[in-house]
Amino acid sequence: MNPTVLLLVILAVQSLVVGGLLLIQPYVTRRGLLFGVYVGEEAWDGPEARAITTAWTRGLVTALVVSLVLAVAVAFAGDASPARVTLAGVGSLLLLVLYSYVAYLGAYRKARHLAVVGAPAAASLVRDLPHSLAVPLTALVVATCVGVAAVAYAALHYAQMPAEVPTHFGFSGAPDAWSPRSFGAVMMLPMGALFMGVSLALIACLTARAKRAIRVGDAGVSLAAQVRFRNAMATFLGGVAVLVSLMMGLMSVFSVRTAMGLASGMPAAVMVLTLVLLVYALGGSIYLAVRFGQGGSKLEGRTSAPLSNGLADNAHWVLGMFYVNRDDPSFMVEKRFGIGYTLNFGNPKAVALLVVFLAFILYTVVSGLMMPQTSGPAR
Amino acid sequence: MASEDLTIVLERNAEGAAYEQIAAQIRDAIVAGTLEPGAVLPGVRGLASDLGINFNTVARAYRLLEEQGFVRIRDRSGVEVVRPASRPSPVQSAPLERELWQVLTRLRQAGVTIPDLRRLVDSQLGALDGGSRPGVKSS
Repeated sequence: MNPTVLLLVILAVQSLVVGGLLLIQPYVTRRGLLFGVYVGEEAWDGPEARAITTAWTRGLVTALVVSLVLAVAVAFAGDASPARVTLAGVGSLLLLVLYSYVAYLGAYRKARHLAVVGAPAAASLVRDLPHSLAVPLTALVVATCVGVAAVAYAALHYAQMPAEVPTHFGFSGAPDAWSPRSFGAVMMLPMGALFMGVSLALIACLTARAKRAIRVGDAGVSLAAQVRFRNAMATFLGGVAVLVSLMMGLMSVFSVRTAMGLASGMPAAVMVLTLVLLVYALGGSIYLAVRFGQGGSKLEGRTSAPLSNGLADNAHWVLGMFYVNRDDPSFMVEKRFGIGYTLNFGNPKAVALLVVFLAFILYTVVSGLMMPQTSGPAR
Repeated sequence: MASEDLTIVLERNAEGAAYEQIAAQIRDAIVAGTLEPGAVLPGVRGLASDLGINFNTVARAYRLLEEQGFVRIRDRSGVEVVRPASRPSPVQSAPLERELWQVLTRLRQAGVTIPDLRRLVDSQLGALDGGSRPGVKSS
């Protein structure tokens, strides 16, 4: 197959998978939660709630089709170069995600009319349930070791590097852009490997200890389901952390080796790891959504027991997406819409972690943009 | 942890502060046998996170239970339910007897007759003996 067409197919599949994941979100949320609003278990099954969900589904399917058609049109309108195809694919995906946020806000506003009024009870089931930090902690150790090794390798070879070092690699793995040797040009990738791996592993650890919410009076069925989901999610995130760490660590080492003339570019293993990471991340998300549902909702059955705690408390959610409760010591809480967990934005430590994470990303992007770079083949 | 499942429910609009609600439910569970001597109560952080309240509120509930002789707070191994004393100690029982006297006199002042008071006390004692006092939520 033509490489350009293959690239477009890969991007289209990615759009379909992401679009599919967005599409199923209202169908995998907990009973009682409608587009970020707690409407109660009875209203959740009612005609008004169903109409909101149907409108979302129709809108998103239309947006998905339009974005794919647009991507193909843009890709083949000109020279159909890999850069143009990538731009068309990524652009259409961004458009789709942007539309999903707009559609969500519309559905959220409609769902607010069905919101349960008043503060719900908070409840805790005093029961020991197996939750293990073994996998996330192992991921943290692996990510730290790989990251530190990558940083050490780059630092130890810094003095022996030539005046110009490769800072960008093409699809074939060969370097295609160079920058003057500097701390930023050499250490950005290994520091990124360390930071991203450790951050993702920490998120996995925090997920394993995320806030529990129970349904009052269901004999602990909901809690058991939730803890199973939480363990599976923490394991999944631990895997993502290890794969990201290995991929970036390998890229970092081969970037240094290429600069020193010991390698001609990135090995095929980097591309393989990237593909494995993509399949693992998307496949894992689909598996978690289909097998467990958000928070283990698929394992709960058609329960009518009311939700409790933060999940049911409309007063502590902004736009149904941001949980803000200063009294609550929880670091991470279950999302009301979508699969996974979010931060308690009322917890200063959680906000500080987010700020550090975003600051590093911003620093990386800005310093990358400001770095002088010249295009060209291997020197 | 618990002999059977115990659900601690915090009602936002209920009478009594949050720490009193928590302490009352744990106290009732101990009396009912849902929490047996030696059982370890949930950690302060875990319970505070579940209920979405400050650590100090849970810690205050546990301190109250310790003052009342229901639990023992240990540094490392958490908060443990203690066995009821085998024989009453005058030091502990004297102030409680004074409290009981005050409650009885207030009930009398509120118009409750002596026969009704007797029935009330008998009913409460029966429930205490059978471990079935209302208000204990178990699932």
